[in-house]
Amino acid sequence: MTPFNLSAIDFQWLPLLPLIAISLAAMVVLLVGVRVEDDETDGLGWLTIAALAIAFVLTFAMSGQNTTAFSGSIAIDDFAVFFQLAILFAAAVVVLMSLNYANETRLPGAEYYSLILFAALGMMLMASAGDLIIIFLGLETMSISIYVLAGLKRSDPRSNEAAIKYFLLGAFSTGFLLYGIALIYGATGTIKLEPIRVALSHGVGLSSPMLMLGVAMLLIGFGFKIAAVPFHMWTPDVYEGAPTPITAFMATGVKLAAFAGFMRVFSLHLIAVSADWSSVLWVVAALTMTIGNVVAVVQTNIKRMLAYSAIAHAGYLLVAMTAAIPAAGAAMMYYLVGYVFANLGAFGVVTALERRGEANDLISDYRGLAAREPGLAAAMAIFLLSFTGVPPLVGFIGKFYVFTAALQAGLVWLVVIAVLNAVIAAYYYIYVIVAMYMQEGGVPVSKMSLRPGLVATITIALIGTVLIGIYPQPYMTAATTAFNSALGLGPIHAASLLP
Amino acid sequence: MIVSFPPLAFILLFPLLGFLFNVFLGARRGRGAVNLIGPAAIFIPFGIALVAFVKLLTLPSGSVLSVTLWPWIYAGRFHADFALQMDALSALMTLVVSGVGAFIHLYSVGYMAHDDDFARFFAYMNLFALSMLTLVLANNLLLMFVGWEGVGLCSYLLISFWYTNAQYAYNGRKAFIVNRIGDAGFLLGIFTIVSALGSHGIWSLDFATLRDNIHLLTTATATTAAVLLFIGATGKSAQIPLYVWLPDAMVGPTPVSALIHAATMVTAGVYMVARMHFLYTLAPSAMELVAMIGAITAIFAASIAMVQPDIKRVLAYSTISQLGYMFLGVGVGAFSAGIFHVMTHAFFKALLFLCAGSVIHALDGEQDMNKMGGLRTKLPITYATMLIATLAISALPPFSGFFSKDLILESAYNSGHTGLWILGIITAAMTSFYMFRLIFMTFHGDSRVDSTKAHHIHESPQVMTIPLIVLAVMAVIGGWVGLPEGVLWGNKISQFLAPSVGNFTPVLQGGFVMLTGTSLGLALFGILLAWYFYIQAPGMPYLIAYQMQSAYNVLLNKYYIDQLYNLIVTRPLFWVSTFVLGRVVDTFMIDGIVDGAGLSVQTGGQLSRRIETGNVQQYAFVYVLGVLAIVAYYLYLVTH
Amino acid sequence: MGGGILTALVFIPLIGALFVLMQSDERSIWNSAFIFSLLPLAISFYLFFAFDPSRAGYQFVEQYPWIPQFGISYHFGVDGLSLVLVMLTTILISLSLLYSGGGDIDHRPREFCFFMLVLEMGLLGTLLAVDLLMFYVFWELMLFPMYFLIGIWGHGRPIYAAVKFVLFTMIGSFLMLAAIIYLVMLNRAHTGDLTFDLPALYNTPMTATEARWMFAAFALAFAIKVPMWPLHTWLPDAHTNAPTAGSVILAGVMLKMGTYGFLRFAIPLFPAVAIEATPLFMALAVIGIIYGALLAMVQPDLKRLIAYSSVSHLGFVMLGIFAFNLEGIDGAVYQMLGHGLSTGALFLLVGMIYLRRHTREISEYGGLWKSVPIYAAVFMFAMLSSIGLPGLNGFVGEFLIMLGSYLHSPIAVVFAVSGVILGALYMLWTYERVMFGPITKAVNETIADLSAREIATMIPLMALMIVMGLYPNFIISKMEPSIAQVLSRVHSAQVRIDTEHRQEMLAQTASLILKHTLVAIAPPADK
Repeated sequence: MTPFNLSAIDFQWLPLLPLIAISLAAMVVLLVGVRVEDDETDGLGWLTIAALAIAFVLTFAMSGQNTTAFSGSIAIDDFAVFFQLAILFAAAVVVLMSLNYANETRLPGAEYYSLILFAALGMMLMASAGDLIIIFLGLETMSISIYVLAGLKRSDPRSNEAAIKYFLLGAFSTGFLLYGIALIYGATGTIKLEPIRVALSHGVGLSSPMLMLGVAMLLIGFGFKIAAVPFHMWTPDVYEGAPTPITAFMATGVKLAAFAGFMRVFSLHLIAVSADWSSVLWVVAALTMTIGNVVAVVQTNIKRMLAYSAIAHAGYLLVAMTAAIPAAGAAMMYYLVGYVFANLGAFGVVTALERRGEANDLISDYRGLAAREPGLAAAMAIFLLSFTGVPPLVGFIGKFYVFTAALQAGLVWLVVIAVLNAVIAAYYYIYVIVAMYMQEGGVPVSKMSLRPGLVATITIALIGTVLIGIYPQPYMTAATTAFNSALGLGPIHAASLLP
Repeated sequence: MIVSFPPLAFILLFPLLGFLFNVFLGARRGRGAVNLIGPAAIFIPFGIALVAFVKLLTLPSGSVLSVTLWPWIYAGRFHADFALQMDALSALMTLVVSGVGAFIHLYSVGYMAHDDDFARFFAYMNLFALSMLTLVLANNLLLMFVGWEGVGLCSYLLISFWYTNAQYAYNGRKAFIVNRIGDAGFLLGIFTIVSALGSHGIWSLDFATLRDNIHLLTTATATTAAVLLFIGATGKSAQIPLYVWLPDAMVGPTPVSALIHAATMVTAGVYMVARMHFLYTLAPSAMELVAMIGAITAIFAASIAMVQPDIKRVLAYSTISQLGYMFLGVGVGAFSAGIFHVMTHAFFKALLFLCAGSVIHALDGEQDMNKMGGLRTKLPITYATMLIATLAISALPPFSGFFSKDLILESAYNSGHTGLWILGIITAAMTSFYMFRLIFMTFHGDSRVDSTKAHHIHESPQVMTIPLIVLAVMAVIGGWVGLPEGVLWGNKISQFLAPSVGNFTPVLQGGFVMLTGTSLGLALFGILLAWYFYIQAPGMPYLIAYQMQSAYNVLLNKYYIDQLYNLIVTRPLFWVSTFVLGRVVDTFMIDGIVDGAGLSVQTGGQLSRRIETGNVQQYAFVYVLGVLAIVAYYLYLVTH
Repeated sequence: MGGGILTALVFIPLIGALFVLMQSDERSIWNSAFIFSLLPLAISFYLFFAFDPSRAGYQFVEQYPWIPQFGISYHFGVDGLSLVLVMLTTILISLSLLYSGGGDIDHRPREFCFFMLVLEMGLLGTLLAVDLLMFYVFWELMLFPMYFLIGIWGHGRPIYAAVKFVLFTMIGSFLMLAAIIYLVMLNRAHTGDLTFDLPALYNTPMTATEARWMFAAFALAFAIKVPMWPLHTWLPDAHTNAPTAGSVILAGVMLKMGTYGFLRFAIPLFPAVAIEATPLFMALAVIGIIYGALLAMVQPDLKRLIAYSSVSHLGFVMLGIFAFNLEGIDGAVYQMLGHGLSTGALFLLVGMIYLRRHTREISEYGGLWKSVPIYAAVFMFAMLSSIGLPGLNGFVGEFLIMLGSYLHSPIAVVFAVSGVILGALYMLWTYERVMFGPITKAVNETIADLSAREIATMIPLMALMIVMGLYPNFIISKMEPSIAQVLSRVHSAQVRIDTEHRQEMLAQTASLILKHTLVAIAPPADK
């Protein structure tokens, strides 16, 4: 029997600092939280934010290093950093959003905040996964935390139902993911992503049924997480049932993580067989956009409406992914950033309308909001217009970026479909504005001045939505550099990558 | 030779100032000021016109006074200046317009004495003077069109002057629309000319330029242009088929009928044809058309005039008929004769209307000749002057009408249009008949005036009678400038106009005496007939009307033309717009498609929402379907 | 560099809008809004007189990189074409604000002024942008303020109208965005440099099919805005339900963005296709002229009537544009201005009477001249300008348009001319029913005549109508060189087409000759 040899693994813990920090913080919050009443959890919240802030700084320090850890199982490249920063930011804002909410709705603070941290941990892991197992690990860490978070409103049956549905279907799809991993391993003989790319680029196992099926299964697995049609059915119910800040977290954090993994596997390492998956994605993208938008039109509940709009936006992202060219990768990353800001803002407003007990999440509840809370209404209008893709807001630049990439790849008809979808989308986004500005009635809003957390959330989101739209270049550059770093290209101006 | 003569601008300036004054200050400054400024705004131009006329006479024949005010439209290659010119033709027209206009303005002072809207009235009148003078002084076709539509506008405003009467308002609009139809033709004519000359690099509409380059046009183009322009003329000068507005225009104040719808505006068409004579001489067939329309209109209108009971309607149809003569004249190539008749007609027809106005004024508003009669003792001046005018229009020597109308008929005959000549002389007989019918019914016989009005019948004030007298004098001597060749000083006016409208030298076919004899004879016959019907045997007309019921009604109802137009044009137009376009195309088809698209999205949403039952098994089912589809696709890929 | 004057012109309204938001009491809101609208007006006047008509290209140019990665630059410039439309915009915005302060807008004045000024920014930006993406950004930016104006301050069914308006426009503009990107990518593929700068894209080599599709996308976006038949049905709804100022800007300026788009983008970018499509567009234009007029004639609602008349007038503009000669396009642009003034005036007048009687039904009126003579007189004036009475603005445009089109296709003009007749018919008929005749409704006897503020709003418009009618040159001379530049691209394309065609013919004849000679030399061995 041989003694367990530590030196066999190159134990680089430095790059893991952010992950370690987060997990420690999560435990601390959990322990401290035991002694905290459910209606004064602000302290825990601030603690969580502090932890996320520290992790943010640490992660930022990693940028530009492009190293790997655990013999390539963990990749700390700019791609990972980019997503991790976004995830940490989203998590922080979600916590900010939750500060009053958690008290008002009597959420168990300890569990709530620590689970958010655990989820963030899983997300970060997915972003920096160097092999398929890590992806699975991260995905599960994230998912399980989210399942619980979705059902944390114990008294609310809708919340419980959401949790159980999400869990069942989630488990279902995890199976597919795992199966896909296995098949890929069978086809290429490795689970490490870099070797897989190398192998495929040398033509190993190309067009072997096993690889094909593996790709298919992975597609399905990720498709579920990003809520692509036909794996989207859970979204509206879960979004509606979950506590609103958690919905926001799902719409932003989970999306970021899922796309980080999806892109790392497909856009970066399965690029050699892109012909095999982009054809499927073409159809999936078209379906996702269309069904998402068309069904959103008839929603009366704003959280369900936003759920479908989330599905539709996943569709737009898939349009870029179908292009399968570097510029498209950067486009997706920029789009995601913009989408995160607008989403946090929108859900912030939705949270703002909720009061102890009552959800007030019907679109009709927003009638006349402009008269009662002009600031809130204006902000919501701007977020919705950004979703619609109205210049110069970030949503527009994102769409523009995505369409450009797609057209470079010659996906003219897919772009046309996307464009027509954008018009349908305009219809339902605008109807919320109609309600806020051109109709009377609706529900009163409890004083915003008493809820600094929300005000901060919405302000931050607003600044991002407008600023990143008007002056997008730095973020585009960042996205480009990040994506290229994962390609091993280093920071190169995207324009030079265009075909 | 072209002589720069800036004062021409003032001919337009004063009516403009008058207009502005009456619009902005008139009502506030009060009747006195308006009565002074209104007429002055046209008397002064008359003076200037006289000066210009004299200057023109001193210059060698064929000279043109001109002034360019400013460059107007310079777009691409096309250019037109805002420039005025006065050659013999313009000079004559200017004198007629400003002269007759001046006295009618004067007359209006008296006529409108009891109307509170005097300021607005004189504003319109001045605006009309401005437009009409622009029309005759314009040095290019486009600027002429400005005046052309301007007078149309004023006619519209003045016909519906008493706007509270819905019928008057309608008649005003009718006049404008019918004129617009003509103007559309006019515009197309302009375009035809421009595009034709443009292809030769000529992009101007100056009359001089046109005259020098018109030969570049093919006969076909020239004919098209000539006919299109003539359509404009038929609108403005109330010829078939666009005459329908003029009779209805009589609802305007009588001075308006005299000035606009008798003396000046309606003759614009004749003026235009004479002005463009070089074009028409290039297009013989177009000339034939003009002459034919003229002759037919003449007899057609005269026939209607014979039975109308309304004194102003009689005069209206007589105007249409006389305009027909003028077109007959220019149509057979006797442009100077046509213009000559324009002038004399201006005198006696204006006079006729003013007299009619005086009568109506005396009977406060009564226009039905069946309610008149025996007025000659009560309205001596009116009677005398109107009689003169009647003799003039009946073309009895030595009254002005005789010379001009005879010249036209002569020219028609001598240019080989015997058929048209016959129409002309028959019309002459009708003319004298209906005119003397008017005289007899109005001034002779026993009074049929309502007892309510009978007692305060009075001759009009001097401000109204003086113009009558002045015009009466002109109606007598006005024709002497155009004596038959060889008599005394001969036909001065044709010589004077020759440089502007060319000479008319037909091969002499019939002897002067024969022609004149015939027309004179017929004119006298008409008078006798009228005398017999309305003095000798007053019952006779009713008897005939009774026996020839249908024919009489056709004439009385003006051949039912208005009803016909209404049936074949107006009604279908509205039906198509309301139902076919409005309901079917716009609402049902186009909006149907649009809303349908929106609706289909809605329904699509509703349908796919049905699947959202919240039932997990079902979600899983859909999920699996997706899985199967994808797997199947890959299996397909692998196997192929 | 233009010394930032165009930047100032475009963004002063935005500053004004934000400033207005901070005002609390109503007076100061209106005053500050009006004053802030006067600044751009002053600037545009300065531009107009400082503009050098001898140069066709852009002047007062400002260009800085915006999104270098895509070669998108912050690029403003003004040429003869945009210059005159900028004037129109600033004038109408100021007047609408002046008028709206007089009671037409009775609630939420702060937001109203805010949106009006943002709208002004959008309009000016659209006109001045030289970079295609900048143009698109402003193109969309001007959409939403108008949407709020209609939706919040509209009458009748404002929401339906507002949403219909937005969706109609968006379909076009999103497709246009796709086309813009495609064009840029195409240009990049051929020339290697990535730029959204309009002049740089003029000579993008493209296949006939690509050109057709892209032209279609651009043309659709612009045709909806114009609106050309049969894409016009959003217009009557939008107009009828919009507040007065909204209708004024919508008809006065916004519709012109469509025709401007054709002249600035669709045609110069794809001249060959434009030439190809001329018969289609001329036909649609003529249909629009007659159709609009006929429908205007039978509308019972004053605003709807004017809305349909706009369809007719804009038909004339399109006709002039597709005449493809200086006369026609000069006329078209001139008509754009003229229609802006006359229709703006008419909508203001309808708004004024609506304010007094709260109805736009023609049948509710009659005999108004007796009770409100000044109003009636002003209305008469605006009407005459609208029906193109010679001596007023409308005539010059219509005349030049028809002249130009006649040179291109007489038959089109023969039909179009009927629009002139019908125009007079429906306007005069309306006037007759509203102003003439006896007073049928007692309420109409006591309504007040125009207030000083309202007269002050109308006088500038009327003055401009006269000036534009009597002395068009001072405007035409400014815009003609730029129009000539657009035209030169069309003509060169025409020449290219002709030569290609000729070469084809030559080739065919050559081959024929060859064949025959061959046959002559070596007759095919039959049997």
